[in-house]
Amino acid sequence: MMRFSKFYKFLAYLVLSVYALIIAGPFFMMVMNSFKSMRELFLKPFSLPTKFMYQNYVQAWQRASIMRGYLNSAIVAAVSVVAVVVLSSMFAYMIAKYEFRGRRYLFLYSMLGLTLPARLAVIPIFLLLRSLNLTNSLLGLIIVYSSVNIPFSAFILKNFMDSVPNELCEAARIDGASVGMIYRSIVLPLVKPALSIVAIVTFVNVWNDFFFPLILINDRSKATITLAVSIFFGEYSTQWQLLFSGLTLSIAPTVILFLIFSQTFIAGMTQGAIK
Amino acid sequence: MKVKLRYILIFILPAMFLYTLFVMYPLFDSLRLSFYSWRGVGEKIFVGLKNYRDMFSGGFSKEVFNAFYHNVYFFVLVSALELGLGFLIALLLASKIKGTKIFRTVVYLPNMIPLVMVGFMWSLFLHPQIGLVNQLLKAIGLGSLARPWLGDPNLALTTIIIVNVWRNLGFYVLVILASILNISPELIEAAYIDGASNWKTTWRVIFPLTVPTFRTLLILLFIGSFNVFDMIYALEGVQAGPFRSTDVLGTVFYRTAFGGLGSAYTDMGLGAAVTVFIFMIVMPMSILYVYLVERRDRR
Repeated sequence: MMRFSKFYKFLAYLVLSVYALIIAGPFFMMVMNSFKSMRELFLKPFSLPTKFMYQNYVQAWQRASIMRGYLNSAIVAAVSVVAVVVLSSMFAYMIAKYEFRGRRYLFLYSMLGLTLPARLAVIPIFLLLRSLNLTNSLLGLIIVYSSVNIPFSAFILKNFMDSVPNELCEAARIDGASVGMIYRSIVLPLVKPALSIVAIVTFVNVWNDFFFPLILINDRSKATITLAVSIFFGEYSTQWQLLFSGLTLSIAPTVILFLIFSQTFIAGMTQGAIK
Repeated sequence: MKVKLRYILIFILPAMFLYTLFVMYPLFDSLRLSFYSWRGVGEKIFVGLKNYRDMFSGGFSKEVFNAFYHNVYFFVLVSALELGLGFLIALLLASKIKGTKIFRTVVYLPNMIPLVMVGFMWSLFLHPQIGLVNQLLKAIGLGSLARPWLGDPNLALTTIIIVNVWRNLGFYVLVILASILNISPELIEAAYIDGASNWKTTWRVIFPLTVPTFRTLLILLFIGSFNVFDMIYALEGVQAGPFRSTDVLGTVFYRTAFGGLGSAYTDMGLGAAVTVFIFMIVMPMSILYVYLVERRDRR
């Protein structure tokens, strides 16, 4: 690796600290201001709160329907993750481990969706769901997310499955294992790291999405957390202390999850994008 | 291994059915819809190429080209900042100083937060009178630099781009860092033995070896830049104010297809035509990406 002088290392620390401050500062200010009264927030924006107004959180929690938002997002994300992992691993398994005509074209076809933004298809998606009576429903969102996340997941899983030795599968077959048994007890356990990458990336994509709920959901009780908070921002645009508490609440679950599993998340998201 | 058709179908159909029905078919159905005029309910009227004519000439075309230009500006500035700063910071991180792990966590953190939330958060910080940014400038004696960041048509789009960089930079840093750490140490040793300085080693060894990563990132940035929506929505609303100075194709599309107050043109067919336009811009890049990735995989 490169060698660096003491001065260079000092410079590196300096630059990186400033950068970290620019990232962390706004989060810190958001949390701090969420505990102030509106008056204090405007008069002394940079000082610590003189009195901790935890009531801000109680109000934001109720008025933004945070609990509903969490629940709806959690349901949609959880079901979509399971569906995506199951469906795309089955697909990837067949593509990676068996020979049949048209296999390569099928794989290329699935890769087309890798970078094509699904939101460009939103009008027909909306119409399709409307004809199935699935607009304004969590199931509709789940179906959309399960579909649009398949290309990426299938691609990652296929890559990992390629590196599972074929001899292993063939040996199992000779011992009488069925296609399904090889999938379940040999291939899946060997690509566990890829399964967690796929699960993490899908979860974050779904939890953080705003576009599809904005277009497909119009009933507040069905709003995901991003939509719930955006409605809240429209309604309480002047009560900043509530807005800051609402924001803090809305991002808390992902931030906490991330801080616990940061290295796994980072590996998943960065590897995933470049694979 | 060979396998019976029955198994192929069982394992492949569920994924391909959903993918085809909810991704590929809708992409192509947009094309069909773009030849119609339709309010979303009632009768569809076939209008041939009228939507495309409207998009490229007349009042609506001004909106479209204004937005298109903003997408291009977005792409250029975001790429320069994210790849440039990303490379620099990745180089610093590659120097094996202590605390790299904590640092990686901090820089990646904003990436975990929905774009729309980041937008809302900064809409408060950037408020002209009581936002923290201007208050901070005043507090440190730079009050003369305070600006209506989101209210000045000359500044708003650039401000949004910088907020975007604030959120996404960590991702680029970490991807580029991974690619730098992948370079075999012997290559760098060899450069040193030949008497190369750090500066030369950086530009003659490290940079060329990270070019493939930059290429991939550039493709993703291009596609992403033509799909900007969430942050504009959060910071400037669907009208993409002030005076449409932050309007992008995503917001034009949203207004056209799904309305929003004060939209002069609302029509699902015209909206579909806008998505076809974006699709045409993005599609070559998507194919290039698939090609590059597939070629690398087969090696």
